[in-house]
Amino acid sequence: MSGRYLTMSDKSEVLIIGAGVVGCAIARELAKYKIETVLLEKENDVCSGVSKGNSGVLHTGIYYKKGSLKAKLCVEGRLMFPELAKQLDVPLNLCGKYVIARTDEELKDLEDLKAVGEGNGVKGLPIISGKEMKKREPNIDALYALHSPVAGIFPPYLFTIALAENALNNGVKIHVNTEVTAIKQENSGYKVTTNQGVFYTDIIVNSAGLYADKISAMIGLDNYKQYPCRGEYLILDKNCHNLINSMIYPVPPKVAGVLGVHLTPTLDGNILIGPSAEFISEREDTRTTKEKVQQLIEGAKDLFPSIPLKEIIYGFSSVRNKITPPEEKTSRDFIIQEDAENFVNLVGMESPGLTASPAIAKLVVQMIKRKVDLNEKSDFDPVRKRTVSFSEASRIEQAALIKEDADYGEIVCRCEHVSKREVVDALNNPFSSRSISAVKYRTRAGMGRCHGGFCLPRIVEILKEEYGLLPEEIKLKNLHSPLFVGKTKDLREIKKNE
Amino acid sequence: MKKEIICIGCPMGCYLTIDYYEKTMLSISGNRCKVGLEYAEKEISNPERTLTSTVRVKNGNLPLVSVRTNKPLPKGRIFDTMDFLAEVEVEAPVRIGDKIVRNLFGTGVNIVATKNVVKKE
Amino acid sequence: MSDLESRDVDLVVIGAGPAGLAAAISAKKNGVNDLILLERNNWLGGILPQCIHDGFGLEVFQEPLTGPEYAQRYIDKLKDLKIPCFLNSMVLEVTSKKEVFVASPEGLFCFRAKAIILAMGCRERTRGQICIPGSRPAGVYTAGVVQNLINLKNVMVGRDVVILGSGDIGLIMARRLTLEGAKVHAVVEIMPHTNGLPRNVQQCLIDYDIPLLLSHTVTEINGLNRVESVTISPVDKNLKPIKGKEKRIPCDTLLLSIGLIPENDLSKACGVELSSVTAGAIVHENLETTVPGVFACGNVLHVHDVVDFVTLEAEKAGKSAAEYVLGKSRKVDRIRVEAGDGIRYVLPQSICTDADLELSSRVVCPGEGVSIGFFDGEKLVKTKKFVKVHPAQMIKVKLKKSEIIAVKTLKVEVLQK
Repeated sequence: MSGRYLTMSDKSEVLIIGAGVVGCAIARELAKYKIETVLLEKENDVCSGVSKGNSGVLHTGIYYKKGSLKAKLCVEGRLMFPELAKQLDVPLNLCGKYVIARTDEELKDLEDLKAVGEGNGVKGLPIISGKEMKKREPNIDALYALHSPVAGIFPPYLFTIALAENALNNGVKIHVNTEVTAIKQENSGYKVTTNQGVFYTDIIVNSAGLYADKISAMIGLDNYKQYPCRGEYLILDKNCHNLINSMIYPVPPKVAGVLGVHLTPTLDGNILIGPSAEFISEREDTRTTKEKVQQLIEGAKDLFPSIPLKEIIYGFSSVRNKITPPEEKTSRDFIIQEDAENFVNLVGMESPGLTASPAIAKLVVQMIKRKVDLNEKSDFDPVRKRTVSFSEASRIEQAALIKEDADYGEIVCRCEHVSKREVVDALNNPFSSRSISAVKYRTRAGMGRCHGGFCLPRIVEILKEEYGLLPEEIKLKNLHSPLFVGKTKDLREIKKNE
Repeated sequence: MKKEIICIGCPMGCYLTIDYYEKTMLSISGNRCKVGLEYAEKEISNPERTLTSTVRVKNGNLPLVSVRTNKPLPKGRIFDTMDFLAEVEVEAPVRIGDKIVRNLFGTGVNIVATKNVVKKE
Repeated sequence: MSDLESRDVDLVVIGAGPAGLAAAISAKKNGVNDLILLERNNWLGGILPQCIHDGFGLEVFQEPLTGPEYAQRYIDKLKDLKIPCFLNSMVLEVTSKKEVFVASPEGLFCFRAKAIILAMGCRERTRGQICIPGSRPAGVYTAGVVQNLINLKNVMVGRDVVILGSGDIGLIMARRLTLEGAKVHAVVEIMPHTNGLPRNVQQCLIDYDIPLLLSHTVTEINGLNRVESVTISPVDKNLKPIKGKEKRIPCDTLLLSIGLIPENDLSKACGVELSSVTAGAIVHENLETTVPGVFACGNVLHVHDVVDFVTLEAEKAGKSAAEYVLGKSRKVDRIRVEAGDGIRYVLPQSICTDADLELSSRVVCPGEGVSIGFFDGEKLVKTKKFVKVHPAQMIKVKLKKSEIIAVKTLKVEVLQK
């Protein structure tokens, strides 16, 4: 069904380019209808771009201009989320958010945000006193705080993977390691050339995120300019899980479309510091920098003066798909439009793209409905169950799991208590993604404080024994990221033959 | 010829300054015991090192067994030895002390196993 | 009916590395028969089986054994004494009531222990913890992981290596990688002196013409999918990179040997008080932690450099645990031991003064002809002179009962000349 080579005669009705959260949400929405849908992803796994590297926040809709797509779709998406998360078995915690004001001038900013939120239909955004804030968040110093109780947190990669799996289960064909190199209008449809063969389709949906402009340019629509804007994060150890209860944001800085360094608890118990914002020249540049790490630390100390910095376990970065030039003050809106016949472009899908994704999907499907008849499937199964998580089970449940399958008792990741069975389940994913990353994002193995120190040799052993992989075939993430050169004694041979 | 070397005779690691002509020691300073002197003399005449490495195992519960030279090896033969060991494969079971290679390159040095490896189930 | 099996046990030893092995053997020899040894790996010996180099056992066996040989001596003793040992057994939690929850393919168990010996060893400091800037490609490893992969898993990690950190692990791996055909381009050390034994500098670096770059650090990792180079920079006396002097070293592997952290996740949760200096438990001279009946030894207590000392410490812990189980623990008054100038830490942190004891310590700076003084308030109680001291080498000092019987406080410091 997925990851297989196609024949020239494979034709779909809709072809989606890019299996990030937006592409996967659209795929899952289309899966409800009797329409042949294909989803292409150039990387080794779904959710390989910015969808896996963000704060994982369910936004309320208090930042966006009334009437904008961002505002409308964010509010709609947020309302759809609890039901969707339940169907897809993705954990969601409506932990709420506080935007804090440290001065009386900043109080005015809180009032503005409250007004924007209320204008977008969001009710219940109280502004509380510093004293009350201290009761709720003892580690945070604030004069006032705007409380957004309906904001939430969830693992964006689990959500994206769940959407993809549910779409697949309901008939969408998903191909990873498939990069679109050319698109040509042919007959009444499109011929899409990829590194894995040619696809034919009636309708194209371009949800290629960072590369949406390039895909669009393939049919001559090259008027989109993207301004990659990198955001760096720091992650604090799970030991810090009870230091804050909700998300803590400063008042928005006066720089276009950036929310300012904030603190986000995660469902797993970590705290995220970030993101920073930096316009960069190369969209693939996901480096972390000394300067931004310093800035993040200062920003964090600003919100939380006694934040235990020695609990930093990792830093990462991700690049936003911005279409707003650096010099513009306010962020431009989402672009979701049929720019050519049966060619839907989704460009500039940055925050709140994650929250809005279910609503974006519905909007795109509406657009497709105007072009073709969409008949609902009677057998669409909205439910997708997550594989069992050993660490989340109670001791009694854990005992039962091990009795059922001894591989639940072999703990591969000492930090997150991930069992061998879960690692194998992750490696058996329907996209045949056998990288260390595929395991990491599905199980959390490697996300803990030892950062793969304990689990990596064990996962390598599993890849060798259960999947017959040779050392040089084992990848960190994509196909160009080999972890090893070969067996221990092979290097000598390799050098001799050069 | 003057040289500075570090004695590897014990964890102290004295820094030795030696003056020698070909294989004859002229003067030495920095050593705190005679082990240092003996070491320095050997370094200029016939330097030797113990070598530890691994060797592939066939049909064992482990793919490699750790090995060592039973006595120091001429320093110049270390890489030859590594090349040689890369070609060796020993059949499980292996016990500590098993002579994997005898009289390596005619030096009188044996390569012995330092780990037990049982046959694979 | 639940699948969760609960059982009462007199003594649970967590970890079957050199500390756990010696502690279990000692406890058995000192009278504990109802004991179990839990090990999360599928082998005994902890870190030793991958330490295929020699130099282990000079104190205990008077021979330079390799790691696996040293481990086997204790594994054999363990088998002789018929001490029950469970492999593939990961302790998930130790509660303040000394309940030990263990997951293994055999099931989930709860051992209600009378006494526990913590011997979990340590883990390695990671790139993320020191925030090295740059990309996050394949090819960045900690030294211990590489040692495991090369020596146990039969996997070679790379061909052109730069090593950050000149501690013994980094030096040993520099040699190991070179012997297996890789090119080690440099060992980079932020301090102005090496952190490992000088003889390892000789036999691991000088012997193989591997450059040692002191007062340098890695300031960036480069390479999108696999390491392509690292940027190194000299540092000033505050250890800050000097701008404008960066240099790129092309390589495909960065090996990190930047420190070990005692694995006290379990200890913290069960209420054991930890020292922020050692990152290990605060203990009495009998190695009991602040939780009665819970003892600690080996790298989980403080990072060791000589395995023989781990064994000796663990034997003491085993004996103390046995005394506790058999109801023979002495009720004593204790005084705190303080680390003064020039001393990074002293262990144990609390001692009784009515018996001989041995203190372990580390200095802050290297030095020659250094004297260490033991003070009771202003009074100098004892002096010990050292030919050479180095932060990387643990110091052991024996104190006789007669020397400490009358002291009310004890502070250890480096005496100024």
